[in-house]
Amino acid sequence: MIEVKNVNKSFDNQHVLKDINASFEPGKINMIIGRSGSGKTVLLKSIIGLKIPETGEIFFNGREFIRANIKFKREIRKELGMVFQGGALFTSLTVEDNIMFPLNLFTNLTKKEKLSRVNFCLERVNIQNANKQFPSEISGGMQKRVAIARAIALNPKYLFCDEPNSGLDPQTAILIDQLIHNITVEYNMTTIVNTHDMNSVMEIADSIIFIYEGHKWWQGGREDIFNSDNKELNDFVFASELCKKIKKTNP
Amino acid sequence: MKLLSVIGKYLVLMSAVFTKPVRARIFIKRVFEEVEQIGMDSIWIVSIVSVFMGAVLTLQVAINFTSPVIPQYLIGLSARDTFILEFSSTIICLILAGKVGSNIASEIGTMRITEQIDALEIMGVNSANYLILPKITAALISFPILNLLSIILGILGGYLIAIATDVVSIYDYIYGLNYMFVPFYVTYSLIKICVFSIIITSVSSFHGYYTFWGALEVGKSSTKAVVYSIILVLLFNLILTQLLLT
Repeated sequence: MIEVKNVNKSFDNQHVLKDINASFEPGKINMIIGRSGSGKTVLLKSIIGLKIPETGEIFFNGREFIRANIKFKREIRKELGMVFQGGALFTSLTVEDNIMFPLNLFTNLTKKEKLSRVNFCLERVNIQNANKQFPSEISGGMQKRVAIARAIALNPKYLFCDEPNSGLDPQTAILIDQLIHNITVEYNMTTIVNTHDMNSVMEIADSIIFIYEGHKWWQGGREDIFNSDNKELNDFVFASELCKKIKKTNP
Repeated sequence: MKLLSVIGKYLVLMSAVFTKPVRARIFIKRVFEEVEQIGMDSIWIVSIVSVFMGAVLTLQVAINFTSPVIPQYLIGLSARDTFILEFSSTIICLILAGKVGSNIASEIGTMRITEQIDALEIMGVNSANYLILPKITAALISFPILNLLSIILGILGGYLIAIATDVVSIYDYIYGLNYMFVPFYVTYSLIKICVFSIIITSVSSFHGYYTFWGALEVGKSSTKAVVYSIILVLLFNLILTQLLLT
């Protein structure tokens, strides 16, 4: 369980996060949605400690994270897996070495055991015969899947995904969504996905937080979106003409 | 005020760099990789520059020593001392600041903007230590070797031009190389290059590490890394000369 309490963050006098409170439950896909520039990436990066909020607290299973010393933060971070928007794979390493990287640093497994774990993770994300390829030699969708494989290599308790579907075609995006969903349920992870892809939201979200101009504007489940009379949420979710028609035909 | 802030940021980064690596084996492997990139890949440029500069220096000194009262062996002596005292440490480091410094800044800067550094941090890795310490260590190992190589090749360049053009006799040139040799000058040269190697790698890493926003910034960081490395090398050259030779 991750709890966010009264988090505020500013950049150069621009108040980006305004008193955010939220809790994210394990075994569920928790989604943060909002327009570009609404503050959702800042919120995600604040939760994992890449940005430091001015005020507020963040708890990982009751352990305060923001004000913790760097050594304690690094210990907690070993329990985190993160899938970055661009994959953030190490370009100088092969697919196999990318996934083996955290295993080399934080486990005492033998080379054979590490290789076995790498192959397991790659199988888990449906990638075969790409061990010796470099990130530049594989497609965007594969890069995202390798990033997921690397994120789950150490069996994390918490998984964070920053716009995992950006730049992917709808079919590949659905595959990535299903993968994130299956892994979350299988390992009972606390997963937070940052997205503005409404297909993803409708596909896998268990709990949704809508961020609007730095505020937590709305919170609910997948089904609640259709029934909500929140104007800003409706403007965001049903922005296209097609979605507006769907909303009208399914009152 | 801005300068103080930059110095503070640099010191904070260095305090993160100079910590115990997570795994000694991985650290050693990374150092070897960096020695190849920073040291081995620089051998050719150091060799070419040193041989040609040794030849040109010998020619110019010989052309200017026209007075019959000036002994010819001073040509060899001046080539030797110029290379040991200044060229093979300071000038070679200015060249390496361009080659190695820009490479380090752009490599780390690209890792920053593609979120690879964030990925390291999220894994619980001290990214500054993991990325920068092997580079500093590798430079500390390879720069002194490049310094000695440059001294040898510079003097060899002078020797070759002496054979090819007859501006000075081989006997006078070699006599000059041995005349009034001060071994401490080599120590002085090695001390300087060790300090410069830390300056070049740490300053370039600093500029790369604090690159934000996009590809354009990587280019700017790379330029800043070279410019500030050169300025600091020249400043510390003055300070070290004052401290060690006067």
